[in-house]
Amino acid sequence: MTATTDHPHPHRHYEETSADDPRVVLDREIGVFEPVPPYPPRTEREAEFYTLGDGEMLLNMGPQHPSTHGVLRVVLKLDGEKVVDLDPVLGYLHRGVEKLCENADYHQAICYLDPLEYVSSLFCEWPGVMAFEKLLDVDVPRRAEYIRVLSGELNRIASHALFLGWMALDLGGLTPILWSFIERDEIVDMLSALTGQRMLFNYFRIGGVNGDLNHEFMSRLGDWMSRATEQIEAGNTLLNENEIFVRRMRGLGTIDSTTALRMVMTGPNLRATGVPFDVRRAHPYSVYPELDFDIPTRDEGDCLARYLLRMDEIRQSLRIIDQCLHQMPDGPIMAKLPRLLRPRPGRAYAGIEGPRGQYAAYVVSDGTDQPFRMRIHDPSFIHLQAVGVMMPGHLIADTMAVMASLDPIMGGVDK
Amino acid sequence: MDRAFKARLEARFGDRLTSAVHQRHDETEMRIGAGDVVAVLTALHDEPEFRFEFLADLAGVDTGTVMQVVYHLWSDTTTDWLRVIADGLPRDDPRVPSATFLWKGAEWMEREAYDMFGITFEGNRDLRRIYMPPDYTSFPLRKDFYLADDAARSPGAGVRPMERTQAPSNAPATALVRRGGT
Repeated sequence: MTATTDHPHPHRHYEETSADDPRVVLDREIGVFEPVPPYPPRTEREAEFYTLGDGEMLLNMGPQHPSTHGVLRVVLKLDGEKVVDLDPVLGYLHRGVEKLCENADYHQAICYLDPLEYVSSLFCEWPGVMAFEKLLDVDVPRRAEYIRVLSGELNRIASHALFLGWMALDLGGLTPILWSFIERDEIVDMLSALTGQRMLFNYFRIGGVNGDLNHEFMSRLGDWMSRATEQIEAGNTLLNENEIFVRRMRGLGTIDSTTALRMVMTGPNLRATGVPFDVRRAHPYSVYPELDFDIPTRDEGDCLARYLLRMDEIRQSLRIIDQCLHQMPDGPIMAKLPRLLRPRPGRAYAGIEGPRGQYAAYVVSDGTDQPFRMRIHDPSFIHLQAVGVMMPGHLIADTMAVMASLDPIMGGVDK
Repeated sequence: MDRAFKARLEARFGDRLTSAVHQRHDETEMRIGAGDVVAVLTALHDEPEFRFEFLADLAGVDTGTVMQVVYHLWSDTTTDWLRVIADGLPRDDPRVPSATFLWKGAEWMEREAYDMFGITFEGNRDLRRIYMPPDYTSFPLRKDFYLADDAARSPGAGVRPMERTQAPSNAPATALVRRGGT
Protein backbone atom coordinates (compact mmCIF):
# COMPACT_ATOMS: atom_id res chain seq x y z
CA MET A 1 0.00 0.00 0.00
CA THR A 2 1.31 3.41 -0.93
CA ALA A 3 -0.35 6.76 -1.23
CA THR A 4 0.28 8.98 -4.20
CA THR A 5 -1.09 12.45 -4.49
CA ASP A 6 -1.91 12.20 -8.22
CA HIS A 7 -4.30 9.33 -7.73
CA PRO A 8 -7.99 10.15 -8.47
CA HIS A 9 -9.02 8.97 -4.98
CA PRO A 10 -5.97 9.71 -2.85
CA HIS A 11 -7.79 9.13 0.43
CA ARG A 12 -9.37 5.84 -0.48
CA HIS A 13 -7.82 2.50 0.06
CA TYR A 14 -6.45 0.87 -3.04
CA GLU A 15 -4.20 -1.95 -3.77
CA GLU A 16 -1.44 -2.50 -6.25
CA THR A 17 -2.12 -5.31 -8.64
CA SER A 18 1.43 -5.35 -9.82
CA ALA A 19 4.52 -4.61 -7.87
CA ASP A 20 6.30 -3.60 -11.05
CA ASP A 21 3.79 -1.01 -12.13
CA PRO A 22 2.47 0.98 -9.19
CA ARG A 23 0.15 3.01 -11.44
CA VAL A 24 -2.12 0.02 -12.02
CA VAL A 25 -4.50 0.22 -9.10
CA LEU A 26 -7.76 -1.36 -8.16
CA ASP A 27 -10.42 0.82 -6.58
CA ARG A 28 -12.32 -1.55 -4.37
CA GLU A 29 -15.54 -1.38 -2.42
CA ILE A 30 -14.85 -0.17 1.11
CA GLY A 31 -15.05 -3.09 3.50
CA VAL A 32 -15.70 -3.16 7.22
CA PHE A 33 -12.09 -3.03 8.28
CA GLU A 34 -10.71 -0.60 5.73
CA PRO A 35 -8.54 1.98 7.47
CA VAL A 36 -10.16 4.99 5.83
CA PRO A 37 -13.81 5.47 6.83
CA PRO A 38 -16.25 5.54 3.88
CA TYR A 39 -17.68 8.94 4.79
CA PRO A 40 -16.36 12.48 5.01
CA PRO A 41 -14.54 13.35 8.25
CA ARG A 42 -16.84 14.45 11.06
CA THR A 43 -14.37 16.26 13.29
CA GLU A 44 -11.31 18.41 13.04
CA ARG A 45 -9.15 15.67 14.48
CA GLU A 46 -10.52 12.99 12.14
CA ALA A 47 -9.88 15.20 9.11
CA GLU A 48 -6.34 15.82 10.30
CA PHE A 49 -5.67 12.17 10.95
CA TYR A 50 -7.03 10.81 7.67
CA THR A 51 -5.23 13.38 5.52
CA LEU A 52 -1.96 11.84 4.52
CA GLY A 53 1.23 13.84 4.27
CA ASP A 54 4.09 13.10 1.96
CA GLY A 55 5.23 9.49 2.22
CA GLU A 56 2.68 8.58 4.88
CA MET A 57 0.36 5.59 4.84
CA LEU A 58 -2.35 4.08 6.97
CA LEU A 59 -2.23 0.60 8.40
CA ASN A 60 -4.90 -1.29 10.30
CA MET A 61 -3.86 -3.20 13.38
CA GLY A 62 -6.68 -5.40 14.53
CA PRO A 63 -9.45 -6.03 15.34
CA GLN A 64 -8.26 -9.63 15.50
CA HIS A 65 -4.75 -8.91 16.56
CA PRO A 66 -3.15 -11.07 19.21
CA SER A 67 -1.42 -8.18 20.92
CA THR A 68 -4.40 -5.98 21.49
CA HIS A 69 -5.65 -7.94 24.52
CA GLY A 70 -9.14 -8.11 23.13
CA VAL A 71 -10.97 -6.83 20.11
CA LEU A 72 -9.43 -3.48 19.34
CA ARG A 73 -8.62 -1.86 16.04
CA VAL A 74 -5.88 0.72 15.88
CA VAL A 75 -5.35 2.70 12.70
CA LEU A 76 -1.69 3.60 12.50
CA LYS A 77 -0.40 6.46 10.43
CA LEU A 78 3.06 5.49 9.35
CA ASP A 79 6.03 7.17 7.84
CA GLY A 80 8.21 4.27 6.82
CA GLU A 81 8.40 2.19 9.96
CA LYS A 82 7.78 5.13 12.29
CA VAL A 83 4.38 5.74 13.82
CA VAL A 84 3.30 9.33 13.18
CA ASP A 85 -0.11 9.15 14.81
CA LEU A 86 -2.73 6.60 15.73
CA ASP A 87 -6.47 6.40 16.03
CA PRO A 88 -7.93 3.60 18.18
CA VAL A 89 -11.36 2.45 17.01
CA LEU A 90 -13.44 1.04 19.86
CA GLY A 91 -16.82 -0.57 20.20
CA TYR A 92 -16.23 -4.13 19.02
CA LEU A 93 -16.91 -5.42 22.54
CA HIS A 94 -19.52 -2.86 23.55
CA ARG A 95 -22.32 -4.55 25.48
CA GLY A 96 -24.02 -1.55 27.05
CA VAL A 97 -23.34 -2.60 30.63
CA GLU A 98 -24.58 0.73 31.98
CA LYS A 99 -27.93 0.31 30.26
CA LEU A 100 -28.17 -3.30 31.43
CA CYS A 101 -27.56 -2.19 35.02
CA GLU A 102 -30.24 0.45 34.73
CA ASN A 103 -32.69 -2.28 33.75
CA ALA A 104 -31.77 -4.68 36.55
CA ASP A 105 -32.39 -4.33 40.26
CA TYR A 106 -29.60 -3.51 42.68
CA HIS A 107 -28.64 -7.13 43.39
CA GLN A 108 -28.77 -8.17 39.76
CA ALA A 109 -26.67 -5.23 38.61
CA ILE A 110 -23.59 -6.63 40.39
CA CYS A 111 -23.28 -9.59 38.06
CA TYR A 112 -23.05 -7.29 35.04
CA LEU A 113 -19.99 -5.62 36.55
CA ASP A 114 -17.82 -8.75 36.70
CA PRO A 115 -17.09 -9.25 33.01
CA LEU A 116 -15.90 -5.67 32.57
CA GLU A 117 -12.29 -6.51 33.32
CA TYR A 118 -12.30 -10.24 33.40
CA VAL A 119 -8.81 -10.59 34.88
CA SER A 120 -9.67 -8.44 37.91
CA SER A 121 -13.38 -9.04 38.39
CA LEU A 122 -13.46 -8.27 42.09
CA PHE A 123 -12.28 -4.74 41.44
CA CYS A 124 -15.07 -4.17 38.97
CA GLU A 125 -17.69 -5.26 41.49
CA TRP A 126 -16.23 -3.29 44.34
CA PRO A 127 -17.04 0.32 43.35
CA GLY A 128 -20.56 -0.63 42.28
CA VAL A 129 -21.25 -2.40 45.55
CA MET A 130 -19.70 0.46 47.52
CA ALA A 131 -21.84 3.03 45.74
CA PHE A 132 -25.01 1.01 46.43
CA GLU A 133 -24.03 0.74 50.09
CA LYS A 134 -23.59 4.49 50.28
CA LEU A 135 -27.05 5.01 48.78
CA LEU A 136 -28.56 2.64 51.34
CA ASP A 137 -26.45 3.90 54.29
CA VAL A 138 -25.35 0.35 55.07
CA ASP A 139 -22.49 -0.34 57.44
CA VAL A 140 -20.50 -3.31 56.21
CA PRO A 141 -19.26 -5.67 58.97
CA ARG A 142 -15.52 -5.44 59.56
CA ARG A 143 -14.94 -9.10 58.82
CA ALA A 144 -16.58 -8.66 55.43
CA GLU A 145 -14.33 -5.67 54.72
CA TYR A 146 -11.26 -7.70 55.64
CA ILE A 147 -12.37 -10.54 53.40
CA ARG A 148 -12.90 -8.05 50.58
CA VAL A 149 -9.42 -6.64 50.99
CA LEU A 150 -7.89 -10.10 51.25
CA SER A 151 -9.58 -11.45 48.13
CA GLY A 152 -9.04 -8.17 46.32
CA GLU A 153 -5.29 -8.18 46.93
CA LEU A 154 -5.11 -11.79 45.76
CA ASN A 155 -6.91 -10.73 42.62
CA ARG A 156 -4.48 -7.86 42.20
CA ILE A 157 -1.53 -10.26 42.29
CA ALA A 158 -3.23 -12.56 39.79
CA SER A 159 -3.85 -9.63 37.48
CA HIS A 160 -0.30 -8.27 37.78
CA ALA A 161 1.17 -11.74 37.30
CA LEU A 162 -0.74 -12.08 34.07
CA PHE A 163 0.40 -8.61 33.04
CA LEU A 164 4.04 -9.56 33.46
CA GLY A 165 3.54 -12.61 31.26
CA TRP A 166 1.60 -10.74 28.60
CA MET A 167 4.12 -7.98 28.52
CA ALA A 168 6.90 -10.44 27.68
CA LEU A 169 4.66 -12.30 25.24
CA ASP A 170 4.00 -9.12 23.30
CA LEU A 171 7.73 -8.64 23.00
CA GLY A 172 8.16 -12.16 21.70
CA GLY A 173 9.17 -14.02 24.86
CA LEU A 174 7.13 -17.16 25.42
CA THR A 175 8.52 -18.44 28.72
CA PRO A 176 7.34 -15.81 31.24
CA ILE A 177 3.67 -16.27 30.44
CA LEU A 178 3.92 -19.94 31.33
CA TRP A 179 5.41 -18.98 34.68
CA SER A 180 2.86 -16.31 35.36
CA PHE A 181 0.02 -18.64 34.48
CA ILE A 182 1.28 -21.02 37.17
CA GLU A 183 1.06 -18.12 39.63
CA ARG A 184 -2.31 -16.99 38.40
CA ASP A 185 -3.71 -20.50 38.37
CA GLU A 186 -2.86 -21.06 42.02
CA ILE A 187 -4.61 -17.82 42.99
CA VAL A 188 -7.57 -18.52 40.77
CA ASP A 189 -7.95 -21.96 42.37
CA MET A 190 -7.96 -20.32 45.79
CA LEU A 191 -10.55 -17.75 44.77
CA SER A 192 -12.62 -20.44 43.15
CA ALA A 193 -12.66 -22.30 46.48
CA LEU A 194 -13.79 -19.05 48.14
CA THR A 195 -16.28 -17.77 45.60
CA GLY A 196 -17.27 -20.77 43.51
CA GLN A 197 -16.07 -19.26 40.24
CA ARG A 198 -12.72 -19.10 38.53
CA MET A 199 -13.02 -15.88 36.58
CA LEU A 200 -16.24 -13.96 37.13
CA PHE A 201 -16.37 -14.29 40.87
CA ASN A 202 -19.60 -12.39 41.59
CA TYR A 203 -18.59 -12.53 45.25
CA PHE A 204 -19.31 -9.12 46.74
CA ARG A 205 -22.84 -8.43 47.91
CA ILE A 206 -24.49 -5.23 49.01
CA GLY A 207 -23.62 -5.18 52.71
CA GLY A 208 -20.93 -7.86 52.71
CA VAL A 209 -19.67 -10.87 50.82
CA ASN A 210 -21.30 -14.03 49.57
CA GLY A 211 -19.52 -16.63 51.68
CA ASP A 212 -17.20 -16.91 54.63
CA LEU A 213 -13.60 -18.09 54.47
CA ASN A 214 -13.53 -21.86 54.20
CA HIS A 215 -11.04 -24.57 54.91
CA GLU A 216 -10.01 -25.23 51.33
CA PHE A 217 -9.32 -21.57 50.65
CA MET A 218 -7.33 -21.12 53.83
CA SER A 219 -5.21 -24.21 53.34
CA ARG A 220 -4.45 -23.32 49.71
CA LEU A 221 -3.63 -19.76 50.73
CA GLY A 222 -1.37 -20.83 53.59
CA ASP A 223 0.41 -23.26 51.32
CA TRP A 224 0.93 -20.62 48.64
CA MET A 225 1.94 -17.83 51.02
CA SER A 226 4.80 -19.92 52.38
CA ARG A 227 6.48 -19.95 48.96
CA ALA A 228 4.85 -17.03 47.13
CA THR A 229 7.63 -14.50 47.60
CA GLU A 230 10.29 -16.96 46.49
CA GLN A 231 8.27 -18.14 43.52
CA ILE A 232 7.44 -14.64 42.31
CA GLU A 233 11.03 -13.43 42.64
CA ALA A 234 12.24 -16.48 40.72
CA GLY A 235 9.82 -15.74 37.91
CA ASN A 236 10.82 -12.10 37.86
CA THR A 237 14.52 -12.75 37.42
CA LEU A 238 13.56 -14.25 34.07
CA LEU A 239 12.82 -10.75 32.81
CA ASN A 240 14.60 -8.40 35.22
CA GLU A 241 17.97 -9.83 34.41
CA ASN A 242 17.28 -10.30 30.74
CA GLU A 243 19.33 -7.73 28.93
CA ILE A 244 17.34 -7.85 25.71
CA PHE A 245 14.12 -7.17 27.57
CA VAL A 246 15.51 -4.39 29.76
CA ARG A 247 17.22 -2.55 26.92
CA ARG A 248 14.14 -2.79 24.76
CA MET A 249 11.86 -1.40 27.47
CA ARG A 250 14.04 1.38 28.81
CA GLY A 251 13.09 4.79 27.43
CA LEU A 252 10.16 3.37 25.50
CA GLY A 253 6.77 5.13 25.65
CA THR A 254 7.94 7.78 28.08
CA ILE A 255 5.38 10.11 29.62
CA ASP A 256 6.03 12.80 32.24
CA SER A 257 3.94 13.42 35.34
CA THR A 258 2.30 16.64 34.11
CA THR A 259 1.13 15.01 30.89
CA ALA A 260 0.01 11.93 32.79
CA LEU A 261 -2.17 14.08 35.05
CA ARG A 262 -3.56 15.93 32.05
CA MET A 263 -4.40 12.57 30.49
CA VAL A 264 -6.12 11.73 33.84
CA MET A 265 -4.09 8.54 34.16
CA THR A 266 -4.17 6.67 37.47
CA GLY A 267 -2.73 3.60 39.10
CA PRO A 268 0.67 2.08 38.32
CA ASN A 269 0.91 4.01 35.06
CA LEU A 270 0.68 7.32 36.92
CA ARG A 271 2.89 6.20 39.79
CA ALA A 272 5.56 5.18 37.28
CA THR A 273 5.90 8.89 36.46
CA GLY A 274 6.57 9.78 40.09
CA VAL A 275 3.13 10.88 41.32
CA PRO A 276 2.32 8.95 44.53
CA PHE A 277 -1.42 8.90 43.89
CA ASP A 278 -3.14 5.77 45.16
CA VAL A 279 -6.85 5.88 46.02
CA ARG A 280 -6.21 3.52 48.94
CA ARG A 281 -4.24 6.35 50.60
CA ALA A 282 -5.52 9.44 48.77
CA HIS A 283 -9.14 8.72 49.57
CA PRO A 284 -9.15 5.83 52.05
CA TYR A 285 -11.96 3.28 51.88
CA SER A 286 -12.71 -0.10 53.42
CA VAL A 287 -10.09 -1.11 56.05
CA TYR A 288 -7.03 0.19 54.20
CA PRO A 289 -6.34 2.90 56.84
CA GLU A 290 -5.71 0.07 59.34
CA LEU A 291 -3.18 -1.66 57.13
CA ASP A 292 0.48 -0.87 56.74
CA PHE A 293 1.83 -0.77 53.20
CA ASP A 294 3.90 1.50 50.98
CA ILE A 295 3.05 3.15 47.72
CA PRO A 296 5.95 2.43 45.38
CA THR A 297 6.74 5.08 42.77
CA ARG A 298 9.29 5.41 40.01
CA ASP A 299 10.38 8.50 38.15
CA GLU A 300 11.24 7.34 34.64
CA GLY A 301 7.71 7.02 33.27
CA ASP A 302 8.77 4.52 30.60
CA CYS A 303 7.69 0.95 29.91
CA LEU A 304 10.37 -0.50 32.16
CA ALA A 305 9.25 1.69 35.08
CA ARG A 306 5.66 0.59 34.60
CA TYR A 307 6.75 -3.02 34.52
CA LEU A 308 8.97 -2.80 37.60
CA LEU A 309 6.36 -0.83 39.51
CA ARG A 310 3.87 -3.64 39.17
CA MET A 311 6.38 -6.04 40.65
CA ASP A 312 6.81 -3.71 43.62
CA GLU A 313 3.04 -3.67 43.99
CA ILE A 314 2.92 -7.46 44.14
CA ARG A 315 5.30 -7.32 47.12
CA GLN A 316 3.07 -4.75 48.85
CA SER A 317 0.00 -6.87 48.17
CA LEU A 318 1.68 -9.83 49.84
CA ARG A 319 2.28 -7.64 52.88
CA ILE A 320 -1.37 -6.63 52.96
CA ILE A 321 -2.54 -10.24 52.68
CA ASP A 322 -0.27 -11.20 55.54
CA GLN A 323 -1.71 -8.45 57.74
CA CYS A 324 -5.29 -9.33 56.77
CA LEU A 325 -4.74 -12.91 57.88
CA HIS A 326 -3.33 -11.77 61.22
CA GLN A 327 -5.94 -9.10 61.90
CA MET A 328 -9.02 -10.90 60.56
CA PRO A 329 -11.80 -10.21 63.08
CA ASP A 330 -14.66 -12.56 63.92
CA GLY A 331 -18.22 -11.65 63.26
CA PRO A 332 -20.89 -11.61 60.59
CA ILE A 333 -20.05 -11.30 56.89
CA MET A 334 -23.30 -9.66 55.81
CA ALA A 335 -25.21 -6.65 57.06
CA LYS A 336 -28.91 -7.20 57.71
CA LEU A 337 -30.78 -5.92 54.70
CA PRO A 338 -34.22 -6.48 53.21
CA ARG A 339 -34.49 -8.59 50.08
CA LEU A 340 -35.90 -5.77 48.00
CA LEU A 341 -33.73 -2.68 48.10
CA ARG A 342 -35.29 0.69 47.49
CA PRO A 343 -32.75 3.38 48.39
CA ARG A 344 -33.97 6.90 48.92
CA PRO A 345 -33.46 9.21 45.93
CA GLY A 346 -29.89 10.39 45.91
CA ARG A 347 -26.51 10.12 44.30
CA ALA A 348 -23.39 8.23 45.30
CA TYR A 349 -19.88 7.97 43.95
CA ALA A 350 -17.34 5.35 44.93
CA GLY A 351 -13.78 5.04 43.68
CA ILE A 352 -11.28 2.32 44.48
CA GLU A 353 -7.72 1.46 43.55
CA GLY A 354 -7.54 -1.56 41.28
CA PRO A 355 -4.59 -3.17 39.54
CA ARG A 356 -4.92 -0.72 36.63
CA GLY A 357 -5.93 2.43 38.42
CA GLN A 358 -9.07 4.03 39.70
CA TYR A 359 -12.24 2.02 39.16
CA ALA A 360 -15.30 4.05 40.01
CA ALA A 361 -19.07 4.01 39.90
CA TYR A 362 -21.56 6.84 40.06
CA VAL A 363 -25.09 5.77 40.85
CA VAL A 364 -28.26 7.86 40.83
CA SER A 365 -31.27 6.47 42.63
CA ASP A 366 -34.83 7.63 42.00
CA GLY A 367 -36.37 5.64 44.84
CA THR A 368 -37.26 2.51 42.84
CA ASP A 369 -35.58 -0.89 43.04
CA GLN A 370 -33.42 -0.21 39.98
CA PRO A 371 -30.55 2.25 39.59
CA PHE A 372 -31.77 5.26 37.65
CA ARG A 373 -28.30 5.94 36.26
CA MET A 374 -25.27 3.76 36.65
CA ARG A 375 -22.00 5.20 35.42
CA ILE A 376 -18.97 2.94 35.34
CA HIS A 377 -15.54 4.49 35.13
CA ASP A 378 -12.82 2.21 33.90
CA PRO A 379 -9.08 2.92 33.99
CA SER A 380 -8.28 0.87 30.86
CA PHE A 381 -10.43 3.24 28.81
CA ILE A 382 -8.45 6.20 30.09
CA HIS A 383 -5.06 4.60 29.60
CA LEU A 384 -5.76 3.47 26.07
CA GLN A 385 -6.16 7.05 24.92
CA ALA A 386 -2.75 7.88 26.41
CA VAL A 387 -1.19 5.53 23.84
CA GLY A 388 -1.81 8.28 21.31
CA VAL A 389 0.42 10.59 23.34
CA MET A 390 3.19 8.07 23.88
CA MET A 391 3.46 6.46 20.47
CA PRO A 392 4.46 9.16 17.94
CA GLY A 393 8.10 8.67 16.97
CA HIS A 394 8.31 5.00 17.91
CA LEU A 395 8.40 2.00 15.58
CA ILE A 396 5.39 -0.13 14.65
CA ALA A 397 6.69 -3.06 16.66
CA ASP A 398 6.80 -0.87 19.76
CA THR A 399 3.05 -0.18 19.55
CA MET A 400 2.38 -3.55 21.13
CA ALA A 401 5.03 -3.06 23.79
CA VAL A 402 3.71 0.35 24.82
CA MET A 403 0.13 -0.82 24.80
CA ALA A 404 0.97 -3.91 26.83
CA SER A 405 2.85 -1.81 29.39
CA LEU A 406 -0.33 0.18 30.05
CA ASP A 407 -2.21 -3.09 30.58
CA PRO A 408 -5.61 -2.25 29.08
CA ILE A 409 -8.34 -4.89 29.13
CA MET A 410 -10.77 -4.46 26.28
CA GLY A 411 -13.73 -5.76 28.26
CA GLY A 412 -13.37 -2.70 30.45
CA VAL A 413 -12.56 -0.30 27.64
CA ASP A 414 -15.66 -1.17 25.66
CA LYS A 415 -18.01 -1.69 28.62
CA MET B 1 -17.83 14.94 55.45
CA ASP B 2 -15.75 18.10 55.24
CA ARG B 3 -17.90 20.97 56.61
CA ALA B 4 -15.15 23.55 56.24
CA PHE B 5 -14.84 22.67 52.57
CA LYS B 6 -18.52 23.39 52.06
CA ALA B 7 -18.04 26.83 53.57
CA ARG B 8 -15.02 27.46 51.33
CA LEU B 9 -16.98 26.49 48.23
CA GLU B 10 -19.91 28.67 49.19
CA ALA B 11 -17.67 31.63 49.87
CA ARG B 12 -15.84 31.29 46.55
CA PHE B 13 -18.62 30.26 44.17
CA GLY B 14 -21.70 31.58 46.01
CA ASP B 15 -23.04 33.56 43.06
CA ARG B 16 -22.52 30.73 40.57
CA LEU B 17 -24.25 27.95 42.51
CA THR B 18 -27.73 27.10 41.24
CA SER B 19 -28.62 25.29 44.48
CA ALA B 20 -27.14 24.77 47.93
CA VAL B 21 -23.94 22.75 48.32
CA HIS B 22 -25.01 19.25 49.37
CA GLN B 23 -22.93 16.84 51.44
CA ARG B 24 -23.45 13.15 52.10
CA HIS B 25 -20.99 10.48 53.23
CA ASP B 26 -17.63 11.45 51.71
CA GLU B 27 -19.02 13.50 48.86
CA THR B 28 -19.60 17.20 48.36
CA GLU B 29 -21.89 18.22 45.56
CA MET B 30 -22.27 21.59 43.87
CA ARG B 31 -24.55 22.52 40.99
CA ILE B 32 -23.75 25.15 38.40
CA GLY B 33 -25.14 26.28 35.08
CA ALA B 34 -23.56 25.19 31.79
CA GLY B 35 -22.28 28.73 31.20
CA ASP B 36 -20.13 28.64 34.35
CA VAL B 37 -18.37 25.35 33.69
CA VAL B 38 -15.16 26.86 32.31
CA ALA B 39 -14.83 29.46 35.06
CA VAL B 40 -15.59 27.06 37.91
CA LEU B 41 -13.41 24.19 36.68
CA THR B 42 -10.50 26.55 35.99
CA ALA B 43 -10.81 28.08 39.45
CA LEU B 44 -11.00 24.66 41.11
CA HIS B 45 -8.01 23.43 39.14
CA ASP B 46 -5.74 26.46 39.39
CA GLU B 47 -6.40 28.17 42.71
CA PRO B 48 -4.00 27.06 45.44
CA GLU B 49 -6.76 26.75 48.04
CA PHE B 50 -8.55 24.11 45.91
CA ARG B 51 -5.92 22.40 43.66
CA PHE B 52 -8.33 19.91 42.05
CA GLU B 53 -5.76 18.53 39.65
CA PHE B 54 -7.29 15.13 39.19
CA LEU B 55 -10.46 14.53 37.21
CA ALA B 56 -11.80 11.30 38.64
CA ASP B 57 -14.77 10.93 36.30
CA LEU B 58 -16.89 12.71 33.72
CA ALA B 59 -20.35 11.41 32.99
CA GLY B 60 -23.56 12.42 31.27
CA VAL B 61 -26.89 11.96 33.01
CA ASP B 62 -30.39 12.14 31.58
CA THR B 63 -32.88 12.90 34.34
CA GLY B 64 -35.85 12.55 32.01
CA THR B 65 -36.48 16.30 32.03
CA VAL B 66 -33.01 17.81 31.67
CA MET B 67 -29.50 16.65 30.85
CA GLN B 68 -26.56 16.95 33.23
CA VAL B 69 -22.82 16.59 32.92
CA VAL B 70 -21.26 15.35 36.14
CA TYR B 71 -17.60 15.90 37.00
CA HIS B 72 -15.94 14.16 39.93
CA LEU B 73 -12.76 15.78 41.16
CA TRP B 74 -10.11 14.90 43.71
CA SER B 75 -7.76 17.18 45.59
CA ASP B 76 -5.45 16.85 48.59
CA THR B 77 -7.03 19.96 50.14
CA THR B 78 -10.15 18.06 51.19
CA THR B 79 -11.09 14.55 52.28
CA ASP B 80 -14.20 14.53 50.08
CA TRP B 81 -14.83 13.73 46.46
CA LEU B 82 -16.12 16.87 44.82
CA ARG B 83 -19.03 16.43 42.45
CA VAL B 84 -19.70 19.32 40.10
CA ILE B 85 -22.98 19.00 38.26
CA ALA B 86 -23.54 21.17 35.19
CA ASP B 87 -27.29 21.15 35.50
CA GLY B 88 -30.31 22.07 33.42
CA LEU B 89 -29.08 21.38 29.88
CA PRO B 90 -32.07 21.30 27.53
CA ARG B 91 -32.81 17.77 26.29
CA ASP B 92 -33.29 18.76 22.66
CA ASP B 93 -29.88 20.42 22.33
CA PRO B 94 -27.63 19.87 25.34
CA ARG B 95 -24.42 21.88 25.06
CA VAL B 96 -21.62 22.32 27.53
CA PRO B 97 -18.04 23.57 27.18
CA SER B 98 -15.40 20.86 26.92
CA ALA B 99 -13.05 20.15 29.83
CA THR B 100 -10.23 19.15 27.49
CA PHE B 101 -8.48 22.51 27.98
CA LEU B 102 -7.64 21.35 31.52
CA TRP B 103 -7.61 17.58 31.15
CA LYS B 104 -6.77 16.28 27.69
CA GLY B 105 -7.84 12.86 28.95
CA ALA B 106 -11.45 14.02 29.25
CA GLU B 107 -11.67 13.77 25.48
CA TRP B 108 -12.78 10.15 25.32
CA MET B 109 -15.12 10.47 28.29
CA GLU B 110 -16.79 13.36 26.48
CA ARG B 111 -16.96 11.31 23.30
CA GLU B 112 -18.69 8.62 25.32
CA ALA B 113 -21.18 11.10 26.80
CA TYR B 114 -21.85 12.38 23.29
CA ASP B 115 -22.31 8.87 21.96
CA MET B 116 -24.68 7.81 24.73
CA PHE B 117 -26.61 11.04 25.41
CA GLY B 118 -26.02 13.35 22.46
CA ILE B 119 -24.43 16.02 24.66
CA THR B 120 -22.30 18.39 22.57
CA PHE B 121 -19.04 19.41 24.19
CA GLU B 122 -17.98 22.67 22.61
CA GLY B 123 -14.23 22.78 22.12
CA ASN B 124 -13.65 19.03 21.99
CA ARG B 125 -11.63 18.44 18.81
CA ASP B 126 -12.75 14.87 18.32
CA LEU B 127 -16.44 14.70 19.19
CA ARG B 128 -17.53 11.63 17.24
CA ARG B 129 -19.14 8.39 18.32
CA ILE B 130 -16.83 6.07 20.20
CA TYR B 131 -18.77 2.84 20.85
CA MET B 132 -21.69 2.87 18.45
CA PRO B 133 -21.15 2.68 14.68
CA PRO B 134 -20.81 6.00 12.86
CA ASP B 135 -24.12 5.63 11.02
CA TYR B 136 -26.05 5.05 14.24
CA THR B 137 -28.64 7.74 14.88
CA SER B 138 -29.99 7.39 18.43
CA PHE B 139 -28.51 7.91 21.86
CA PRO B 140 -28.92 4.67 23.81
CA LEU B 141 -28.64 5.86 27.41
CA ARG B 142 -31.31 8.53 27.06
CA LYS B 143 -34.40 7.74 29.06
CA ASP B 144 -36.63 7.84 26.00
CA PHE B 145 -34.59 5.11 24.31
CA TYR B 146 -36.85 2.08 24.53
CA LEU B 147 -34.97 -1.15 25.21
CA ALA B 148 -36.71 -3.22 22.59
CA ASP B 149 -35.15 -6.60 23.19
CA ASP B 150 -36.51 -9.93 22.18
CA ALA B 151 -37.27 -10.99 25.73
CA ALA B 152 -39.85 -8.24 25.90
CA ARG B 153 -42.00 -10.10 23.40
CA SER B 154 -41.68 -13.50 25.07
CA PRO B 155 -44.50 -15.21 27.00
CA GLY B 156 -42.65 -14.40 30.21
CA ALA B 157 -42.73 -10.70 29.45
CA GLY B 158 -43.24 -8.58 32.52
CA VAL B 159 -42.26 -11.31 34.94
CA ARG B 160 -38.72 -10.10 35.56
CA PRO B 161 -37.58 -6.48 35.47
CA MET B 162 -35.44 -7.02 32.38
CA GLU B 163 -38.47 -8.21 30.49
CA ARG B 164 -40.82 -5.43 31.38
CA THR B 165 -42.69 -4.28 28.37
CA GLN B 166 -44.08 -0.92 29.34
CA ALA B 167 -42.47 1.64 27.10
CA PRO B 168 -41.76 5.11 28.47
CA SER B 169 -44.60 7.56 27.91
CA ASN B 170 -42.59 9.47 25.33
CA ALA B 171 -41.34 6.41 23.43
CA PRO B 172 -41.79 6.47 19.65
CA ALA B 173 -44.98 4.88 18.39
CA THR B 174 -43.08 2.05 16.71
CA ALA B 175 -41.89 0.83 20.09
CA LEU B 176 -45.46 0.34 21.23
CA VAL B 177 -46.42 -1.50 18.05
CA ARG B 178 -43.60 -4.00 18.53
CA ARG B 179 -45.06 -5.05 21.83
CA GLY B 180 -47.87 -6.82 20.01
CA GLY B 181 -45.43 -9.37 18.67
CA THR B 182 -45.14 -8.14 15.11
